[in-house]
Amino acid sequence: MTPAATPSAIVVDAVSVERNGVRVLESVTTTIDAHRVAVIGANGSGKSTFARLLNGLIVPSSGSVRVAGLDPVRQARKVRELVAFLFTNPESQIIMPTVAEDVAFSLRASGLPREEVSRRVIGILRHYGLDDLADRPAHELSGGQKQLLALCSGLVREPGILVADEPTTLLDAANTRRVSDALIALPQRLIVVTHDLALAARCDTALLFDRGRLIAQGDPGELIARYERELC
Amino acid sequence: MAGPLSLYVPGTSPLHRLPASVKLLGLLIGGLVITVPRPEPLLLGVAAAVLVALYLVAGLGLTELARQVWAVRWIIVVVLVGQLLFLPWHVAALTSIRMLLAILLAALVTLTTRASDILEAIERGLGPLRRLGVRTERIALVLGMAIRAVPIVIDLASEARDSQRARGVGGGPTAMVVPLLVGALRHADDVADALAARGMDDDEEPVMLEGSERLRGASRRPPRR
Repeated sequence: MTPAATPSAIVVDAVSVERNGVRVLESVTTTIDAHRVAVIGANGSGKSTFARLLNGLIVPSSGSVRVAGLDPVRQARKVRELVAFLFTNPESQIIMPTVAEDVAFSLRASGLPREEVSRRVIGILRHYGLDDLADRPAHELSGGQKQLLALCSGLVREPGILVADEPTTLLDAANTRRVSDALIALPQRLIVVTHDLALAARCDTALLFDRGRLIAQGDPGELIARYERELC
Repeated sequence: MAGPLSLYVPGTSPLHRLPASVKLLGLLIGGLVITVPRPEPLLLGVAAAVLVALYLVAGLGLTELARQVWAVRWIIVVVLVGQLLFLPWHVAALTSIRMLLAILLAALVTLTTRASDILEAIERGLGPLRRLGVRTERIALVLGMAIRAVPIVIDLASEARDSQRARGVGGGPTAMVVPLLVGALRHADDVADALAARGMDDDEEPVMLEGSERLRGASRRPPRR
C-alpha cells in the first residue's frame, strides 16, 4: 500500500506505458518523498520512461502521475516550471549559440526585466564556475562544461525538482565527479536515473527497475547490492 | 577568436555598444549600397576601405578579417567560376568582390552583436506581424536554433566521415547521407524534448493527438527504457 504522501511528493499510481503493443512500463506504483532519489536498473528496464513521465514528456497509457499534486500531462506548463529535466546528451538541450544566451533562454517567457535576467544568469554561471565562459560559443565547451551548462539552464528557473536522465553517462571520470558533486549538493529534490552506482550510493533512496517493473524501493546500498547480485 | 559561424567576439568597441537594431539597419543599407549599383572599382574600393576601417574600429583586427575571407573562399570561388562562364573576367571579378564585401559586412554584425540581441531586434522588428497572428517569438527562436544547429551538423558530418573511414569504406557523399540524416533527425527529436522540458511548449491547453494517446509536448517516439 502506498504511504500517505506529503503535498510536495511525487505520486505514481498504477502507471503503465505501452508502445506499438509492447508494454515498456508495467503497473508502477510509488510515492517519492525523499530529497535525492536514484533510479537504477539495466538498459531497457524502464528507467528513462519513468523519468520522462514526471514532466509529461511521455504520457501514461493507464494510471496516473501527480507531481506536488499536479498532472504532468494536463498541467504541463505548471509542472515544467516546477520540474527541470537534465538529459544524457547536453548537446541536444543547449538551444542558443553562446553559454550566457542559453541560460537566459530559459527565462525568456518569465517576464523578468533584462537586468534581473542578467543577474540570475551570471549568478548561476558563477556558482558552477562557468562565468568566465559566458560569451563563449556553447559548442566549444568540454563535455563536462556542457553538462554543467545544461544544469545551469535548468536551475536558473529555480525549479523545486530536478529529474536527470543518465547525466554522467557521456562524461570522463573527472567530469563525472564534478557533475555528480553538483547534483548531490542541490537544494532541490533530485531524481537521477543512472548507471553510475557510485552516484546512486550517494542518494537517500533508490528505485530498482527490471523489465518495465519497479521491483524494489529503499536503501541505495541494499538495492545496488541486489542489482549487482541478481540483475547484472 | 570567433567560431566557424562568425559568432560573437566579446568587446567594448563603439560597434559592440551600438544597438543591434541600428547595426541590422546599417547592414541593410550597406548591403544595398554594395550590391544594387553597377559594380564599379571605385565604389567597391571605397566600400572595402570602409569595411577594413570598421573591422579595426571593432577591435577585431586584420587577422579576423582575413579569417572571415578564408572561411568563405569556396563560396567566392564557386560564384567566380560560375560567372566566368558567361561574363567578361573583370565583371565576374567585381561581382564576386561585391559578394565578398556583403558577406564580410554581415559577419561584422554577428562578430560584434550577441545572437540573442540580434534575435530580440528581429522579434521587435517583426512586431507588427503579430496583429496578423504571426508568432514572432517563434521566428526568432527558429533563427537562434538554426545558428546553434550548424556546428552540431558539422560534428555529425565529421563523425559520419570518421566512421566510414574506420570501417574502410570510402567517405563519398552517398555513404555520408544516411548517417548524417539519421543523426540530424535524432538530434531534432532530442531538441524537441529539451524544448518541451524547458517550458517552450507553451500552449496552455493540451492538444489531443493519435487517438487521445499523446498530448502536445509529450514524446511521439517509442519511449526509451
